Amino acid sequence: MADLKIDFGKFQLENPVMTASGTFGYGLEYAAFYDISKLGAIVVKGIRSVPSDGNPTPRVAEVTGGMLNAIGLQGPGVDKFLHDEHYLPGVKKTGAKIIVNIWGKTVEEYAEVAAQLEAEAKADITALEINISCPNVKAGGAAFGTDPRLAEQVISAVRKATTLPLITKLSPNVTSIAEFARIAEACGSDSVSLINTLSGMAIDIETRRTKIANRTGGLSGPAVKPVAIRMVNEVYKAVKIPIIGMGGISCGADAVEFMIAGATAVAVGTANFVDPYTPLKVIDFINEYCDRHGIRSASELTGSLLN
Amino acid sequence: MSECKIISNSRMHGDYFRAVFDAPEIAHKSCPGQFVHIRIDERNDNILRRPFSIHNAENGKLTIVYKVVGKGTETLSTLKEGTVCDIIGPCGKGFSAPAEDVVPVAVCGGYGAAATFMLTRQSRNGGVLLLGARSEKDILLTKEYADAGFDVKVATDDGSIGTKGRVTDLFPELLAQYAGKKLFFYGCGPHPMLMALAKLLREKGLDGELSVDHIMCCGVGACFGCVVKVNDHAHPGEWMYARSCADGPVFKLADIYTE
Repeated sequence: MADLKIDFGKFQLENPVMTASGTFGYGLEYAAFYDISKLGAIVVKGIRSVPSDGNPTPRVAEVTGGMLNAIGLQGPGVDKFLHDEHYLPGVKKTGAKIIVNIWGKTVEEYAEVAAQLEAEAKADITALEINISCPNVKAGGAAFGTDPRLAEQVISAVRKATTLPLITKLSPNVTSIAEFARIAEACGSDSVSLINTLSGMAIDIETRRTKIANRTGGLSGPAVKPVAIRMVNEVYKAVKIPIIGMGGISCGADAVEFMIAGATAVAVGTANFVDPYTPLKVIDFINEYCDRHGIRSASELTGSLLN
Repeated sequence: MSECKIISNSRMHGDYFRAVFDAPEIAHKSCPGQFVHIRIDERNDNILRRPFSIHNAENGKLTIVYKVVGKGTETLSTLKEGTVCDIIGPCGKGFSAPAEDVVPVAVCGGYGAAATFMLTRQSRNGGVLLLGARSEKDILLTKEYADAGFDVKVATDDGSIGTKGRVTDLFPELLAQYAGKKLFFYGCGPHPMLMALAKLLREKGLDGELSVDHIMCCGVGACFGCVVKVNDHAHPGEWMYARSCADGPVFKLADIYTE
């Protein structure tokens, strides 16, 4: 048995496996399948100050080796999230460590949501993940994650608004993701998570219309993994704060690859839709891999790339 | 989630197939209108599961009826007896069992008739199937419904079988024949058909439940990919999105939003 515990400084996880925001609902959807407290942490779907409808349909399309989505951050808003049994009050009973993904349409909104979550539920929340990378909303999301000045403003504002540990979720749809990781680190983010989805498009040639109503959507699934591995490695070389690596992880070997590239922890996303048990299988594999390689602590894997 | 062996998987006619799985855990929990979410081929580049209405579930066997419409169903149609598929289910909210005093009327488009079949076993008063499709080659399951004691009426766009026209064109005959009976409607079919049905039922002061869905991804309510518009009862006249996989696919007529 290897030691799977992971230390993020301000918080600790029993193991390095999380679920990616937007792919795990608010946790309870998958609690029907297994004990979700066995995960390192769960990252719930994006929360803003008010409810949001999300995008028109169709919102998803399958593509070779993955999928496009443009859900558009449909969500209940922070009040309902904090007080309705389907959300935080229900999921906290599972005993899972909960990371809340937050977003807004303005810098102020991000800060307000962070402040409210801290004020009303600090003890129930392990960390906040600042979503500056959703490619599917017109205002908010990637608008903040692809402009260095806006990224700086929003991360700084959230940092001022809360003492909760902060993770900044980075967009891959930029020339240099390392630049944004450095900004996150400089503005007080305690870690970074990457990658969000890659902006893409698919067209139905019979109707000559895009397969997604939003026209473009975010590409995820096994197809994006090599891009994500490369970006994790770039960011690992650029910053000292820990990295949560994700993008196409569909088995334990994929997760180990992310850790070798520089990730301290990993998140399973699209694979949850394919096999809900993937995160548990990933935990088992990391353990088995460490034993097989004589590694006592999974944290030794981080950045262990030899060339 | 269960590993389920294919007992049989064969062509009914044209592009329509019927697959039977050995799935005791799923079968004993299944209600009409629910669906199963099947991982068709783990080696495939098409990674996502595919949802299928439960056509029948009895004696530990689960039956689906499907049309080959794309890569997923094409692959499924090639799977041989004995192949094991990973199936999540039963998923979603199904149809409510017909009340003791009603005659259930299934109003279906094409292979939508698969989803309402188990109602035939729940009804105490027989029932009716109104089935619409493009053409005779898209009409299926009528014998099963008739054998189960349902009165079957068919309409096709091209008039190749039954009444020429839409499934809703069968209503005058239905309402005349069943005058004085308490009817309750169960709809499953293409979206435009269901919207036309919802409007017609409201116009006539009739009630029912409709199975409304959209392209699905997770199938369990997590991804919000498959949402459909439903009435927002807190704000009359306005709609909100509901997850067809978890809040539906079956919705009460009162919840169905029509543009």
